[in-house]
Amino acid sequence: MRRRTTVPSDAAQLAVVTQFLQEFWRAAELPPAEARTFELALEEIFMNVVMHGSPAGHEPRIEVSLEFCDGKMILTVEDDGPPFDPLSLPPPDVTASLEERRVGGLGVFLVRQMMDDVSYRRTGKRNRLRSCKRIAPPATSAERMKH
Amino acid sequence: MKVRLESLGPITVVIPQGRLDFGAAAAFQTAIEQALAGATALIIDCAELEYVSSAGLRVFLLAGRSSQSAGRPFALCALRPAVREVFDVSGFSRVIAVHADRDGAVAQIRQRSV
Repeated sequence: MRRRTTVPSDAAQLAVVTQFLQEFWRAAELPPAEARTFELALEEIFMNVVMHGSPAGHEPRIEVSLEFCDGKMILTVEDDGPPFDPLSLPPPDVTASLEERRVGGLGVFLVRQMMDDVSYRRTGKRNRLRSCKRIAPPATSAERMKH
Repeated sequence: MKVRLESLGPITVVIPQGRLDFGAAAAFQTAIEQALAGATALIIDCAELEYVSSAGLRVFLLAGRSSQSAGRPFALCALRPAVREVFDVSGFSRVIAVHADRDGAVAQIRQRSV
């Protein structure tokens, strides 16, 4: 199953793309417990483009693609903003004390930790960040009847 | 997201309900700051918190720092598995006290205040 949508690079669109993901999840009958991980990845990657990849005077378009195939869920976020590889950011120091902790870079760090694989590519005039994770196959109708 | 407040004597309990994402973080921060202003100790009961992102973690971090600099006990409790995972992966559960349930958080705060 595959779906995609395109929205402007605007924080107000986070709710729109989150709902898009939730609808995909229900339609594909994927396990609800796994949805949060992808909601998190989508928010962190989407907001990264909104906050850091949208220069004044140019509002990029952000395309969100979702694909579930052979037990693997793939989230791809593409934008036509200036080249920016969020994976090049230094990881946060997750052992720092309360006083020294910084939140910068934490979102991308969470995504990298919680996904099986995250990769960046610049193709033409677009940034493309692809995250994927193997998830447990959806319960069959017969199995659901037992619960 | 909604936020409820309860008082347990001098302890203020903040109960966020729903999703703490980028869109909800600013309002949650305001709610926490107001709660901190009148509290001698703060517990955030996360039993009804379904989701947290890095924007939400930032609010917990700021609340933890404010409490620490004011010398007021601050603890979280009752994290759901999905929220707990984000706290663990980010390392936040090592710098902020996280208890399994509200009773545990209250007991620790009372012990400290004796």
